[in-house]
Amino acid sequence: MSNKLSSSVPTDREVVLGILNDSEDALNKLYTGYFPMVLQFILNNNGDEDDAKDVYQEGIIVLYNKIKGGNFELSSKLKTYIYSVCRRIWLKKLSQQSKKTSNISDFEDVMAVEVDVEQHEEKDKQFDKMQDALLHLGEPCKTIIQDFYINNLSMQDICEKFGYTNTDNAKTQKYKCLQRLKKLFFQV
Amino acid sequence: MRNEIELEGIIEDYLNDKLSEAERTAFEQLRKNDPTVDHKVVAHKVFLESLGDYAQVLDLKAKMDRAHAEIDVETLSEELRPHPSYIVNLWRKNKAAIAVAASFILLTIVTVYSIQQNTKQIGNVELVSRELAKIKNSQSSLIRIMNSKTTANTPKNVKPANFGGTGFALTANGYLLTNLHVVDGADSVYVQDNKGDSYKAKVVRSDSQYDLAILKIIDKSFNPLSNLPYRLKQSGNGMGEIVYTLGFPKDDAVFGEGYISSRTGYNGDTTQYQVSIPVNPGNSGGPLLDHQGNIIGVISAKEKQVDGATFAIKSKYIQEALNSIPNDSLGKKVAFNKRNSLQGLSRNKQLEKIQDYVFMIKVYK
Repeated sequence: MSNKLSSSVPTDREVVLGILNDSEDALNKLYTGYFPMVLQFILNNNGDEDDAKDVYQEGIIVLYNKIKGGNFELSSKLKTYIYSVCRRIWLKKLSQQSKKTSNISDFEDVMAVEVDVEQHEEKDKQFDKMQDALLHLGEPCKTIIQDFYINNLSMQDICEKFGYTNTDNAKTQKYKCLQRLKKLFFQV
Repeated sequence: MRNEIELEGIIEDYLNDKLSEAERTAFEQLRKNDPTVDHKVVAHKVFLESLGDYAQVLDLKAKMDRAHAEIDVETLSEELRPHPSYIVNLWRKNKAAIAVAASFILLTIVTVYSIQQNTKQIGNVELVSRELAKIKNSQSSLIRIMNSKTTANTPKNVKPANFGGTGFALTANGYLLTNLHVVDGADSVYVQDNKGDSYKAKVVRSDSQYDLAILKIIDKSFNPLSNLPYRLKQSGNGMGEIVYTLGFPKDDAVFGEGYISSRTGYNGDTTQYQVSIPVNPGNSGGPLLDHQGNIIGVISAKEKQVDGATFAIKSKYIQEALNSIPNDSLGKKVAFNKRNSLQGLSRNKQLEKIQDYVFMIKVYK
């Protein structure tokens, strides 16, 4: 059960430096480099391609946050880390779907990553909450908030985009939207 | 309301470090004195962080989706997919070994099969005695058995039928050699010489092992022959040697020429040669001679579905058959001439001499 994966993989150092420098190229290399490994694992353990994509992306986010958080030490191979994280995430998903998690076919070494995965789950909850809150916020509030806080548009830009007569109106609108969003976010 | 908006603007600027030193100190003072403001700052901080994380993850996901689009997932998953059965996995893992084993087995089968093809001659052997009623589909190895069976099964009240074969003189005083299957089960045997004179004969000895029979002319009108022109060649003959025979597939002697095509007979029978020579029913028991006029065998059978595959009992076994017969039963020791008077003669001269010593055997059953 050990099909060798032949895709080219960047060195661990390259990846860490690339992520710290927000290099999209490094992310691409990382992503394409290790995807087959996770795909193989998921496909061989009751999952399909979409499951593999979801799990793998979560795994990369965990790694990304860990590197960005500055507490990532290259104590083990990046490959082992990614594999272990994705494995952990997938096993949790499987048990949530009450599918059997015995007889897992493994393809790589596994290391302990429970703490990281739990932290990620917390963050993931926050993410879902924010997503829900934004969803319930409705238009045009959602776009205004996203433009201001995520796309970093200035009040002037927003004012023009939404056709407000002056920035004060826009500011008032943004304030109202933000209050509602906060309410939704903290409430849920 | 207005104140609220302004307060929030200040909190945001404070959190984003956009305040001047003086403003900052003033705001921190306000925060200390007013718990509601402090609370708002904390809440806003948490909220902005969450929003920031959200934005970051969203961005990361977008990037990953772009990367994902580059991957040929379908091909990959075909490659990595678990395989339906143990057999398939086994096959995948041991492809090379299985291929080697399979080709080895295949090779072995082909080799063994072709050897068998070579050694085993498929087809029936026909005894070339001239028979009118007997169905001749027996195989060489069964010749004797078949013959005895046929005779055993032949009802006694069947009207005698004519059978014919060939025989040749072993001695000048009237001993002839022919195939056992020619005379087997005969009620009476007559031999007819080249001039058309018939003599009554009897089977004095039969050798079922080599399908040979020795006849003795018992007719009083028979005059002893002059010395035999041919001799029995003891040593084996090689493939490709030109041989000829004289036989009676019809009422007159017929000459046939061919060559030894194999040193073994039907199904690798070492007591026989395979000879490529045209023979017909009636040739059974005829002598097989080499170009010097030595008797090297007795024509006995031919393969039905193969052209030119005639079988002849080797002379060595003629001698063996003769030796196994007690001398006294033959009356006189059967001895071929030491000298071969045919040596060096042309073919038609040889035939001229031989034809007086080759007889048609007529069998009445």
